[in-house]
Amino acid sequence: MNYVEKEIHINNQRLILNNLRAVFWADHKSIIVSDLHVGKSKHFRKHGIPISSKVQESDLERLHFLITLYKPERLIIVGDLFHSGHKDEVSIFKKWLERFPLLEVHLIKGNHDRISSNSPAVNNLYIYDDELKLTPFIFVHIPIDAVKDFTISGHLHPGIRLKARGRPGITLPCFKLCKTQLVLPAFSLFTGLATESIRKSNSYYAFTDTSFYEF
Amino acid sequence: MASNGNEPFKFQEQTWAKFSRGHSGMVVAPTGFGKTFSVFLAVVIDYLNHPNNYKKGIKLLWISPLRSLAKDLAKAMSEAIEDIGIDWEVAVRNGDTPQKVRRQQERLMPDVLITTPETLHLLFSQKNNSRWFKSISCIAVDEWHELIGNKRGVLVELALSRIKLLSKQVRIWGITATIGNLDQASKVLIPFPDLKVVTIKAREKKKIKVIPVLPDEVEVLPWAGHLGRSMASKIIPIIHENKTTLIFTNTRGQSELWYQILLEADPDLAGLLAIHHGSIDKKLRNWIEESISEGLLKAVVCTSSLDLGVDFKPVDCVIQIGSAKGISRFMQRAGRSGHSPYEVSKIYMIPTHSLELVEASALKEAVKELRVEDREPQILCYDVLVQFLVTLAVGEGFSHEDTLNLVRATHAFNALTDEEFAWAIQFITQGGSTLKSYEQFHRVYKDDNGLFKVKNRRISMLHRMNIGAIVSDAMLRVKFLSGGYVGMIEEFFISKLKPSDSFVLAGRVLELIHIKDMTAYVRISKSKKAITPSWMGGRLPLTSYMSHFLRKKLSDALEPGIRERELKFLHPLISRQAKYSQIPRANEFLVELIQTKEGNHLYMYPFEGRLVHEVISALIAYRISKIKPLTFTIAMNDYGFELLSDQDIPINESNIDMILSKENLMDDVIASINAAEMASRKFRDIAVISGLVVQSAPGANKTNKSLQSSSGLIFRVLEENEPNNLLLRQAYTEVFDQQIEEVRLRAAFDRISESKLIIKRSNTFTPLSFPIKVDRLRQSVSSEKLDKRIQRIQSEIYKKTKV
Repeated sequence: MNYVEKEIHINNQRLILNNLRAVFWADHKSIIVSDLHVGKSKHFRKHGIPISSKVQESDLERLHFLITLYKPERLIIVGDLFHSGHKDEVSIFKKWLERFPLLEVHLIKGNHDRISSNSPAVNNLYIYDDELKLTPFIFVHIPIDAVKDFTISGHLHPGIRLKARGRPGITLPCFKLCKTQLVLPAFSLFTGLATESIRKSNSYYAFTDTSFYEF
Repeated sequence: MASNGNEPFKFQEQTWAKFSRGHSGMVVAPTGFGKTFSVFLAVVIDYLNHPNNYKKGIKLLWISPLRSLAKDLAKAMSEAIEDIGIDWEVAVRNGDTPQKVRRQQERLMPDVLITTPETLHLLFSQKNNSRWFKSISCIAVDEWHELIGNKRGVLVELALSRIKLLSKQVRIWGITATIGNLDQASKVLIPFPDLKVVTIKAREKKKIKVIPVLPDEVEVLPWAGHLGRSMASKIIPIIHENKTTLIFTNTRGQSELWYQILLEADPDLAGLLAIHHGSIDKKLRNWIEESISEGLLKAVVCTSSLDLGVDFKPVDCVIQIGSAKGISRFMQRAGRSGHSPYEVSKIYMIPTHSLELVEASALKEAVKELRVEDREPQILCYDVLVQFLVTLAVGEGFSHEDTLNLVRATHAFNALTDEEFAWAIQFITQGGSTLKSYEQFHRVYKDDNGLFKVKNRRISMLHRMNIGAIVSDAMLRVKFLSGGYVGMIEEFFISKLKPSDSFVLAGRVLELIHIKDMTAYVRISKSKKAITPSWMGGRLPLTSYMSHFLRKKLSDALEPGIRERELKFLHPLISRQAKYSQIPRANEFLVELIQTKEGNHLYMYPFEGRLVHEVISALIAYRISKIKPLTFTIAMNDYGFELLSDQDIPINESNIDMILSKENLMDDVIASINAAEMASRKFRDIAVISGLVVQSAPGANKTNKSLQSSSGLIFRVLEENEPNNLLLRQAYTEVFDQQIEEVRLRAAFDRISESKLIIKRSNTFTPLSFPIKVDRLRQSVSSEKLDKRIQRIQSEIYKKTKV
């Protein structure tokens, strides 16, 4: 699988952004991802909209690739691991997780995750209702403004819209960095983008299949 | 028989006679000549003569593309029936019909049912619906010219084919205004070999008077869109001279703008001037329409929203602002004034730049020669097929063989292969070709009797909400915080606004407060500055007939005829073009190479309209870049296009033949455009019609949020996983037929290859090139690859100061 990386430093920590839509927190040997929406394509199929299950398989393959690439000890998911909260989704993910018996998985529950925090967990799956603190970061699902601590979140599916003189404009998924927070792009490819125009006070790490662009 | 003692027209009598002899057919007549009564009374007369041939239930099914017509039509029919003294009931059924009335109708259908294509398909999705269609003697399709060119026409074709199977004695009559391909239109509507088909043309003609309004002075370098404001002073007197004036603009944005301009120019018009377009709340629109009928308004600024519909008696004058882009649209708009048969329709043409006066002259000639465009019927719309099959499955269920025959009996699906039909069945039962990838997909089941049916109630419900072939952009309702609707606005536009930003809608300046449940809440803004929404899809393409007349008139412009006052007026501009470059004759093709401090410009003038120029310009850029790798900025208008480069453009007399050659045309086109991106845009409608994307109704409190996805996303997913999906293939076909207009493109290059190619060099902009240059400053495309473009934008526009 082809990928490109972009290294940034926050609170003296090395964060490696990957255009396969993940962050590798090198000092903590953790991969951070957001918004996997496992079960979304199936939810659509159930409602009569044919979306191939290959979409989801390729999402999980990509995650598998990232784990073999960085060999992390931890996988931190900042919310929306599941799409509709159906029990099948949970079992699909747990089954996939069996491939990595030594990997710790930390899930901060998102608005889509209707899974109980004390559900009969696989040994290495930990679920948090609101947040997870791992100094010097706080992991949450929905970005919060104006806190002292640096948060890492998802939920938005951030993207940017580039306006050149003329049309059509270009939209790209991105990692969005504000003063005290980093917002991750949605990991699943079967997701939309919430695009915004570029604001000077933020940094945006937008990516294509081949490159990173900083705005 | 003529109810009010009016002498019937000849074509009406012919229709009555043919109908009583069991014929089907097509009535061609201009509006205002009683087309409705030709077919309607034919059925009534036949009933009076042979009452025993008629059974209980619907006798006449009247399909009309417009909801707004239905009420008045029903009223007129009811009055006639009362005069004649038979006890028929006339009823309307469409999206506005209340639930209670619908249920009553379902218990006992009226004798005459007036409906829309969409509502008819909704009826097909009801349990036991075929009993309603067994007694029908006549199906009338009104305004067929409005339906034939789009997918709603395909909905009509499928509905006719189904009803014809249910009701053996049915006769089918189409009613249409003049279009170029009348014979074809008739065959598309009535393709059934067992029906005798006649075409009845009214001899009566509508007289149209075209009056171009000349600006005070001609600008030799016309600046597109710039004339606007200064023309307001010419419009005001026209409004005052006439009783009621309809002012047509081409886009909703323009209508908002002109509404403001006119009010500023004459504040006395406040209260007498209204604005009408598709995004204004329905109640308000109804009120405006009633006010026009009652003669309470002096003028209404509108868009194509008033092209059709109820005849407004008081309207005695029409103003067209800017180009109408097509002859039949122009004539239709003109026909909105002076509605009674022998009155003259009067239409003023207000140019928004000087060159549009050439267009005025072209329109005058086209109207005189009565040359109107063809409306090409759509074929093999798999999206509509899929929708229709699910509709049947939701209703009574369907069998493979019978339905294939039903579908193939239509013109649209005449060439449908067994494999394609099998694919459609597979698509709705299994989702896709690889069964394993589509587990849990259960839209349609095959039951034990071999009937395909929908069992899941939620899927039925979702499907019913989605029936139809009109796809609008995602819209939000706009509502005052204190209550009361203003209208609709595109999500695309409003998503760019922040709370407390101001925008213009329905002629009012509004301040956005917040957005909730697909509704934007606003209050009246005090701000003087506001953004006028840019509604997408507002650009109308120039029709090929129109371009033909344009080229001809421009070529004539050096020696204008006596009556062509607008061409004489343009003389300073024309002679400047002739002096610095050349006026292209009908058998010539002009290429201008202009060098300015901006860079090197290449201009070409095919006069084929913006959409075709988009393709031709990309093609020329591609061919030039094969000689020398160059990056261009591309701009275009309806007359021509510009390629701008910072380096020398290697074009001269020796290679221009090759650059404009018709050899390898389509191969080069495919290499030069991003077909996937274009197809992805086309896929939007297809995805909605085929039910791949669930639309949330504006104002709906409950959105199907967990089922939200964009068509672009699904397009990508399908390209990766199901490249043979017919809906994808359809998107590409539509790109070639409608966007690239392959047929027209070939014709254009045939014409160019027979023309004398002329290259003119200059250091200064010419009257023809200047408007394109000005347009470039507003919008342009570039011929770079994606990554290069991002890099350029990054370095040019978003220069980030690194800390």
